[in-house]
Amino acid sequence: MEFTILFLATAIVMLIAWRGQRPLALGLFAAVLIACVVTYLHHATDTLKLSF
Amino acid sequence: MTQTRAITLNALSLYAVALVLAAAFAAQFILHELPCPLCLLQRILFAALAVGPILNIRFGPRPSHYAMSLLAAVAGAVASTRQVLLHIMPGDAGYGSALLGYHYYTWALLGFITAIVLLAAILLFDRQFEEDKAVLPSTGGAFAQIAVWLVIALTAANVVTTLLECGFGACADNPVVYELLKRAA
Repeated sequence: MEFTILFLATAIVMLIAWRGQRPLALGLFAAVLIACVVTYLHHATDTLKLSF
Repeated sequence: MTQTRAITLNALSLYAVALVLAAAFAAQFILHELPCPLCLLQRILFAALAVGPILNIRFGPRPSHYAMSLLAAVAGAVASTRQVLLHIMPGDAGYGSALLGYHYYTWALLGFITAIVLLAAILLFDRQFEEDKAVLPSTGGAFAQIAVWLVIALTAANVVTTLLECGFGACADNPVVYELLKRAA
């Protein structure tokens, strides 16, 4: 579900960047990027099977 | 580099993002390979790359717009690097099929690194940031407008397909069916 929301939020940011106000687009973009990083950290829990 | 030329390059970059999103759809629908959670995150970050060029076309080129795309590209490179490392051990077949010897997440990593290099390169041209309103078209012309709407449409299509794939719960680690279609059947 979180990925659907992230795609939707990205599409909304694009529409605001194209039709809306620039500061709003910048702020929403920052929020989407932070949400992407949080989602990544939430999913990146598997231990990497690396050996050096 | 003039503002007009920079805007044309930004429109071209939107077509490149559209090509990546369309190629991902081709793998999904032709090869019937559903994207994993990390794959979806990489798609989202490819789409996020497009916000900077859209702002450049609408408001004129600014360093802050390129910085937005740079941040998205770095985040995408981190996500795709992790997926490469998850499957780096000898004997690991990787996730999904390979295209020209590389899996999609490896291509994604190459794509994000290319984006970082190109964004850094275009930032070298200072003249694009000088006020040049007489030359600058209001919305970049038809070539740019088609590029913007193409990227928005492909991102909106991803909203639908991701909802069909994951449903209203958490996405499966190795998805093989569309959750919403399975429930409807």
